[in-house]
Amino acid sequence: MTPARVRRNVIVGALVTLLLVFTLFPAYWMMSSAFDANAASGSTGLFPSELTLDNFIYVLNDGGFAVFLRNSLIVAVAVVVCSAVLSLLASVAVARFRFKFRTSMLLMILIVQMVPMEALVIPLFVQVRDLQLLNTLLGLIIVYITISLPFGIWMLRGFVAAVPVELEEAAFLDGASWWRMFRSVMLPLVMPGLVATSVFSFITAWNEFIFAMTMLGGASDKYTVAIGLKQFFGENSNDWGSVMAASTLITLPVMIFFIIVQGKLSSGLVAGAVKG
Amino acid sequence: MTTTIQSPAAVGTSGSPAAGGPGPRRRKAITIAAARPWLLLAPALIVLAVLLLWPLVRVLIFSFQDYGLREIVSGDTNFIGVDNYVAALTDPQLWSVVLPNTVLFAIAAVLCTVALGTLVAILMTNLSRFWRTVVGSAIMVAWAMPAVTGTYVWVWIFDADNGIVNQLLMGAGLMDEPFNWFTNRWTFYLIVLINVVHHGFPFVAITVMAGLLGVSKEMLEAAQMDGAGPIRRFFQITFPSLKQVFTVVIILSTIWDFKVFGQVYLMPGGSGTNRSVLNLGVWSYVESFGQNQYGFGSAIAVLLTLVLLVITIIYIRVLMKEDEL
Repeated sequence: MTPARVRRNVIVGALVTLLLVFTLFPAYWMMSSAFDANAASGSTGLFPSELTLDNFIYVLNDGGFAVFLRNSLIVAVAVVVCSAVLSLLASVAVARFRFKFRTSMLLMILIVQMVPMEALVIPLFVQVRDLQLLNTLLGLIIVYITISLPFGIWMLRGFVAAVPVELEEAAFLDGASWWRMFRSVMLPLVMPGLVATSVFSFITAWNEFIFAMTMLGGASDKYTVAIGLKQFFGENSNDWGSVMAASTLITLPVMIFFIIVQGKLSSGLVAGAVKG
Repeated sequence: MTTTIQSPAAVGTSGSPAAGGPGPRRRKAITIAAARPWLLLAPALIVLAVLLLWPLVRVLIFSFQDYGLREIVSGDTNFIGVDNYVAALTDPQLWSVVLPNTVLFAIAAVLCTVALGTLVAILMTNLSRFWRTVVGSAIMVAWAMPAVTGTYVWVWIFDADNGIVNQLLMGAGLMDEPFNWFTNRWTFYLIVLINVVHHGFPFVAITVMAGLLGVSKEMLEAAQMDGAGPIRRFFQITFPSLKQVFTVVIILSTIWDFKVFGQVYLMPGGSGTNRSVLNLGVWSYVESFGQNQYGFGSAIAVLLTLVLLVITIIYIRVLMKEDEL
């Protein structure tokens, strides 16, 4: 290797190391504290002095975290399924058909996507209360479907538009009905996009905090993980072992999910969010 | 990357598959074809209208009312005109605390997120396949960390009593006693900044990297032959061809960083007890659900929405220029 090449490799190596430390340290620190027997008392080093599962056992049993995990799973699955169906249908409409008000529809979808949660949380709280759905998972599911829908439509329309029209025509020439074509031609081809949008609606439902805090405030047995976590914080704020064990339980499924769909997620983002 | 443009002929074919049939049947087919997009849109539109548009109208209506605990329970209206807006806009807190916190933070966060994301994207395109996957997975871990847990982890890292940062700084002899990072407005937002950048730069990195891979290799090589150095090549070839990607990434980050909520609310003092760290979003929430001043909180929320609307309009104009919708 030439000296210039060695120097380049050293610089790149140093940058990669720095980057890996910055990106991975919080996740490492979270898990390290979660398994550390001494994190509760606050004495911690860079490595756990004594490994234990006690923090996890405590949050799952005494902390009621198993219930929160179940609640979050119900909410997330319902939101993923419903918003996938709704946004796929709508994205086919805006990507494949030219109709009156199509552009205004797209603009509306783009604009509502930018609305801050704080602006919606007050009227939606009143609305969900009027529907008598406060402190229920159903109320939260409906709200999450709504907030993940604009992004889903926006992202999926890129995938739908990318399906070659010739394939559709071929299906029609073979005598297929529109629905038949949709099921056997369109659906398989937009699957990667559907995976990417489903990841996003799953994450929305799993991580969302403001609405859960506002709408489930009165029923701790209905808490989702995002607000259930708050229980271990605050009054006994020194119990970092429990907070980090609960955080690990929340974060791990999402991380595994992200790493598995990494490739599809990137192409989905580029096709949907960036290029429109 | 051309995903939206179709030839008019192709659209006509996919829109009216039954074209060419006999007279009455054909007319019926055309009617069905015209109704089809609306049938497909109907479920989503109903949900959006009832749970997004109507609430948006409602928050506007609330903002002109003295909407407190009594009104939220009884459903009565009590219109007071623009008093809430006058109160919000003449509140010295808005100008000395809330706006600087919101705006300065957004500027700093967008700059740092985009700069770091771009650097990582450039770094990744220079890595071997193996190391690119390693770095890609690592930034996925940062991205996947939920805002709620991410915030708690950063709070724990900077914890005043036993946080690792205080321990390291004291161990290195840089500090004599533990420092409480959360009581000071600047160090509070420094932690929010690290948290938001850590969570937000992977999106920028992945998007910019996708753009970088699309930059013409021939042009870069030609420029190198002509003696252009790497920095010049970046600013004269790479950057201009990524303009669109950068515009979108910057505008999206601006919108996200303007409305950061959980990362502030969940930190010690962030839920309203330390008023020097309020931002627009938290202020609106705290006034509404903490003080039961839903009308006043709505007015603040409307102001925040208006700011974001302006940014969104810029975003749409940029997109429209590039591509038909």
